[in-house]
Amino acid sequence: MEIHVKVNDKPVTWNVSPGEKLLDVLRRDGYLSVKFGCGEGDCGACTVLVDGRAMRACLLLAGQVEGRAITTVEALGTPDAPHPLQTAFVECGAVQCGYCTPGMLLAAYALLRENPKPSEEDVREALDGNLCRCTGYKKIIEAVLLAAERMGRS
Amino acid sequence: MLPNARVCLYPRDPAEAVRVMVEHGKRALVMAGGTTTAMSKDPGFDTLIDLTRMGCDRIELVGGEWRIGCNVRLHDLGVHPGIRKLWSGVLSDAARAVGSRPLRNAITLGGNVVGLFRWSDTPVALLAMDAVFDLVGPDGTRSLEADAFFARHPRQVMQAGELLAGVRIASDDPHGCGAFCKYARTEVDLAVVDVAACLQIDEQGRCSKARIAVGGTRAVPWRAEQAEKKLLGSKLTRRTIESAAATAKQEGKVLSDVRTDRDYRERMIEVIAGRTIERAAASCKERG
Repeated sequence: MEIHVKVNDKPVTWNVSPGEKLLDVLRRDGYLSVKFGCGEGDCGACTVLVDGRAMRACLLLAGQVEGRAITTVEALGTPDAPHPLQTAFVECGAVQCGYCTPGMLLAAYALLRENPKPSEEDVREALDGNLCRCTGYKKIIEAVLLAAERMGRS
Repeated sequence: MLPNARVCLYPRDPAEAVRVMVEHGKRALVMAGGTTTAMSKDPGFDTLIDLTRMGCDRIELVGGEWRIGCNVRLHDLGVHPGIRKLWSGVLSDAARAVGSRPLRNAITLGGNVVGLFRWSDTPVALLAMDAVFDLVGPDGTRSLEADAFFARHPRQVMQAGELLAGVRIASDDPHGCGAFCKYARTEVDLAVVDVAACLQIDEQGRCSKARIAVGGTRAVPWRAEQAEKKLLGSKLTRRTIESAAATAKQEGKVLSDVRTDRDYRERMIEVIAGRTIERAAASCKERG
């Protein structure tokens, strides 16, 4: 079945089974920032934005995203011009092994688009579906708040 | 991965959904947010039916009752200003208690209700709020009150080809108030016990209506009717609330599972029911 989507603003047509996981389709198509973690919706490593909302790519079938706009972390910034969230993650030491980082960044990016001045509680709630086994979350939350502050100033 | 799925259908309204569900029968996997159905590997499905594009995604107040479409996502329900005030936010608190934010972004009210698991949170609130469930099926439409809808699992109550189009909840009166409490091992874990309470207080400060619903402990949420009787006519003192909570834990069978055994779950019914009724009573006092 043909599935028509936009991935990072680029129109894409996939010829796939509608019953295939979005996670598998995206990774096969080269979006390797979308990680396979638990595969059952618990860890958040595969988080993508669907029409601007953070969702689990491992719990979405390809058929469900027909006509939708998907955002992966490839759209956020580049090594030369990182997104303020990415800069803040590095500066705050919010990245260790990095496996959870794309999901964290996208959940935080969705939050800042809907709420540019989040409280710490707002950040904790927005990231409640993303597990990190390295950092202990403190630095991640600090990084999101720092990015929000900087983005508010600019 | 559904190995044999070839096509996905997107009905534009409930009538079209019913038609395609009847046409494809058991060969179709019917899905809403998909957070449970996407895990299926069943080779028997050749068709997916995506119910999320039926246009039933409004939350509106019409003629004294709230109407919530089956496609409303739980995050939107949890933050809706009107639903946060209705019965002191019983349903919005239940919606916010479900899993994590990405799950609440995906899960719909219809899916959370019809795909009922023992730990599902919003059905407990809807039972306490005495919601009405609007069904559309091959033989037309019908509405069921919460007690009838949750008498068995919704899939057993609903007929083949029937779907839940939405729920309706009477706008509460100025003396109505409520509370919802979830008890789980962590903030994002599945409920061990859920309790929702909706109370009304008369001008003398006595409880004139009480609906206490308990979830997490049986296949379907249930009403603690003996506990409700203890509250009716009383002034909701600490003693009455404790007595009602102690009664709730004795009201029938409670299941054991990998999370906790029956004995502990029964004790938690008492604790959480007491806490929920106390919070509901406190909101009543705040509202005067």
